[in-house]
Amino acid sequence: MDGHQRDLYLYERLNAKVLGVSMDDVTTNKYFAQSLWLEFPLISNTLAWMGKAYGAYSDKPPFAPDGSLLTFGRLTVVIDKKGIVRYAKKGSPNNQEILELLLKLGKEFRGK
Amino acid sequence: MKTRIRPGLALGLVVALSVITGLFLGGCATMGFEKPKSALTLTDRGTVIYLDKYEFKRPPSDWQLLKNLEGGDFELGFLKIEKGPFPSQSTFIYDDAPFGSSRDLETRAKQYCTRFLFNSGVLPDVKKQDNVQLWGQPAIAIYLEGENPNRDEKARSMVYLVKMGDRIISFALTQWRSMQGTFDQEAFTQFETFVQSFKFLKKSFRENFEDELKKAGL
Repeated sequence: MDGHQRDLYLYERLNAKVLGVSMDDVTTNKYFAQSLWLEFPLISNTLAWMGKAYGAYSDKPPFAPDGSLLTFGRLTVVIDKKGIVRYAKKGSPNNQEILELLLKLGKEFRGK
Repeated sequence: MKTRIRPGLALGLVVALSVITGLFLGGCATMGFEKPKSALTLTDRGTVIYLDKYEFKRPPSDWQLLKNLEGGDFELGFLKIEKGPFPSQSTFIYDDAPFGSSRDLETRAKQYCTRFLFNSGVLPDVKKQDNVQLWGQPAIAIYLEGENPNRDEKARSMVYLVKMGDRIISFALTQWRSMQGTFDQEAFTQFETFVQSFKFLKKSFRENFEDELKKAGL
């Protein structure tokens, strides 16, 4: 997350918005954001539908058979201005890859 | 009855084995088992070049090169292990994306220090902080010390945070000792030589990326 915050000035130049999503509650996210000086919004998705919708669970449902809550796996998703998912990758975010893709998308949308 | 090997036959066997071994080892060279190329290339200026990216004065040979593997927390470094009953060591680290996100040096220094040696159980205190220049760039030199009595360990560090255009990079030396041990000032002198001699031979990804953004009118 602090990597995205470090690159926020580049994302802004690319007209990209960063959103973080977690299953933690609002209070937990607020303190987490403060600890990393994050300036972009964190979504508190306690019902976990976003993780399910974007495949953060892989083949696992958000709840285990015994009813206990599973946590999100790490997933980075890039959605273009038409709402199309252009990139989805699990694991630690690769900011270089994301920046290069955003530049490519920026050029695509500007017809360059 | 014992079987005796005739001396002539024994010599023949040794020669045959030598030829076979020779053929096998000779085959290895052609099969790609070559010594990996060193990441450091010596120059005639008394410096070394690291992967065509950076040039610097290498610390003495008892400092081992630490290479960043994919996903590592630093770009490159050196490690010196002290012999003795306690696992004492010293490390130099160059990090092109140090912890924190502010592009203001003073603010970044505050952010950086909240996580420095975070996982070691040592909570270092800032003993001194100076605004300095490094290769003509604005920088902050931070001197830190901390202890972890549970592990009978203490650490002393020196950190440079350097402003390079829109980025801030860092160099850090940390020396670990037992609580009764003494810090080695020579390592700090060697670190200073390493940092002062450090040159960037290539633009970083982000510097190149900013050029691309300008070209694209973004």
